[in-house]
Amino acid sequence: MRIEKCWFCSSSIYPGHGIQFVRNDAKIFRFCRSKCHKNFKMKRNPRKVKWTKAYRRVHGKDMTQDSTFELERKRNRPERYDRNVAENTLKAIKKIDKVRVAREARHHAQRMKGNKVSEMKAAVKELEQSIHMVKAPIALKEDPSLTLPKLKVKVVQPAQAEDQMEE
Amino acid sequence: MVQYNFKKMTAVPTGKDFIDIILSRTQRQTPTVVHKGYAISRLRQFYMRKVKYTQQTFMRSSQPSSTSSPLGRHPSDHYKLALGQINTARNLISKVAKDYVKLLKFGDSLYRCKSLKVAALGRMCTIMKRISPSLAYLEQVRQHMARLPSIDPNTRTILICGYPNVGKSSFINKITRADVDVQPYAFTTKSLFVGHTDYKYLRYQVIDTPGILDRPFEDRNIIEMCSITALAHLRAAVLFFLDVSGSCGYSVAQQAALFHSIKSLFMNKPLIIEDMKLVTEMKAEAAKTVVAQGGEASGEAVLLTMSTLTEDGVIAVKNAACERLLNQRVEIKMKSKKINDCLNRFHVAMPKPRDNKERPPCIPQAVLEARAKETQQKEKRKLERDLEDENGGAGVYSASLRKHYILADEEWKEDIMPEILDGHNVYDFVDADILQRLEELEREEGLRLEAEAEAEDDALDMDARDLSPEEREALAEIKKKKAMLIQEHRIKKSTAESRPTVPRKFDRYRSFTTKRMGRELSTLGMDPSAPSTGERSQARGDDEAVNMDVDQPNKKLRLRSRSRSRPPGEVVPGEGLRDSAQKVKAIKLAKNSVKLRNKSARRGEADRVIPNMKPKHLFSGKRSIGKTSRR
Repeated sequence: MRIEKCWFCSSSIYPGHGIQFVRNDAKIFRFCRSKCHKNFKMKRNPRKVKWTKAYRRVHGKDMTQDSTFELERKRNRPERYDRNVAENTLKAIKKIDKVRVAREARHHAQRMKGNKVSEMKAAVKELEQSIHMVKAPIALKEDPSLTLPKLKVKVVQPAQAEDQMEE
Repeated sequence: MVQYNFKKMTAVPTGKDFIDIILSRTQRQTPTVVHKGYAISRLRQFYMRKVKYTQQTFMRSSQPSSTSSPLGRHPSDHYKLALGQINTARNLISKVAKDYVKLLKFGDSLYRCKSLKVAALGRMCTIMKRISPSLAYLEQVRQHMARLPSIDPNTRTILICGYPNVGKSSFINKITRADVDVQPYAFTTKSLFVGHTDYKYLRYQVIDTPGILDRPFEDRNIIEMCSITALAHLRAAVLFFLDVSGSCGYSVAQQAALFHSIKSLFMNKPLIIEDMKLVTEMKAEAAKTVVAQGGEASGEAVLLTMSTLTEDGVIAVKNAACERLLNQRVEIKMKSKKINDCLNRFHVAMPKPRDNKERPPCIPQAVLEARAKETQQKEKRKLERDLEDENGGAGVYSASLRKHYILADEEWKEDIMPEILDGHNVYDFVDADILQRLEELEREEGLRLEAEAEAEDDALDMDARDLSPEEREALAEIKKKKAMLIQEHRIKKSTAESRPTVPRKFDRYRSFTTKRMGRELSTLGMDPSAPSTGERSQARGDDEAVNMDVDQPNKKLRLRSRSRSRPPGEVVPGEGLRDSAQKVKAIKLAKNSVKLRNKSARRGEADRVIPNMKPKHLFSGKRSIGKTSRR
């Protein structure tokens, strides 16, 4: 039993899922679901289809080369069973996963780093331009800060009551 | 060893067939297409080729293998004649071909070359037609030859001869599988018959001949000549049959006389004389007669008695004949020079025994013990099958395949190793030094984290001014308002076709009130009462000021000071309408006619702009029901 990779979207294909297509030149294409299969039949290039891993890798949105990937390699020669090795492998898999996830997050953060500045600029600009939607120009003239206008509440003074009282 | 196998000779065709064969072969094997536009040399070559080819084919076909002379059983004159005629035909045809080829060299047009070729082939065919009787005769000869039995002249042969009707064919029927006609009249057998028999693992040919009569050589007929020729030419053992009882119609004396006359033919051949058809009381008498008469016969001749009816002595005769023939052949071979070469090549050496001591093979004790143990083990070893039977049979017990695993530690045999973990294939990670690599990885990771932490500290401050919380609030509010607008617009757009376009003054829900306006203005930060207290929104107090007394309302002045729109149904004189009802109706009609145009956003009657010439929804898609034959 092996978890294969979908040829189109590079997701994992668990046993019992998907379709396998064998071409006349003996190349095997595995698909995780009919969506990928149909896209393949339409001769679409996965490197141009936005939601596939291939696209994301090519356009630098996901991590491409990493030492964590080299630890996971399809080996064709079976090894003799060794309990210690098996134990170590199982533990190692978990640790490697953690490391890999951390690295991917770092990659993503690195990618998104420049956003803050541009976002801030965009926010400032929008505020300046559209402040009239929440603050009338008259109010803006009085209070030039780009904040919401202060609500003026009319307070009725009980002065007459005092006068009356005096009388 | 040459086999004279006449059955395998090819058939000789008749004259007409022969011509057909040759001409069709010419047509098939030479190029057929020629045009008069070709170069003259090419035309000449084309026709010359045809003529030559026909000649060559005839040469080849008229040289069959049957011209090799068979055993001369036929009067050779007619045969030689036929062959001679064919030969002449060959020469004639060669001459014809040569002449016409010479003529063709000077042919100057297609037509002339063609006619020359036609003439050449025609003459050749006439010659062939003339030899057709010879061909027919040769065919007959061939057929006759084919029917002859195939006799190998060099192998061991036994020849049976004697007077007619003595019992030769019966004898051959007995010892071989041949089925020769046996009848009471003489000359039942008219030609040679061959049978085969075995003796000491060797095959012998047995040849049955027609009977021979005692006559001078010249008077012999064809059938007798058969036997004589066979006797003369074949190197075989001869069995001469005597009928002692005389039921063949000839006495013993006559038969003996025959024997003497053809004695010369028996030179160098092992001879056995049979006394056939023996009935016991006659035996002694017969033997005496024969011996008396044939006393001068060579000492090598052997006398045997037998009877095919009672099958008495048949086998003995055969054995004797075969034995004698074999011995004679072996003797001859031994005397010949060839055998010496063979003899020199091999030598069987048999060691002489030294003494009478027994020397059996020596097997070491250990080997004997091992052998004994093996046999023991074979019986005692427990098979998997037995194990299966013990534990409940095929469906119940499943063999443990892990029993014989070769592992570093025996306890690991029953271990279950997962193949998949957390979406990974475990086998892809298996590595002897995985721990080491993991360590390296973690170290790397640690280093990277440190570097990152440092980088964060040194990270340059962001240039942009951070928004204060109030500003953030304002921004959020702006975003909300924008989203609301978009949402409203979307709703409006989606319902545009079905929503009635009602002017604002008829707003059903009375959503446009002063209070609402006031509220909105106050959220915007404006004074809510400002619009209603503006200069324009105030009613002008002009009329009040001028006309203080309420009793005299100056309608006329009001009419003039305030411009008011005319009521819709008011008929202005000069318009051409009868009364206000008519005008109202007219206005209604006008509005009706405009409504549809307005709805489709046309500027006027003449606006025929089609914004989208081929709207997609009309030109694509399948119908859920019905055909799409009209677009």
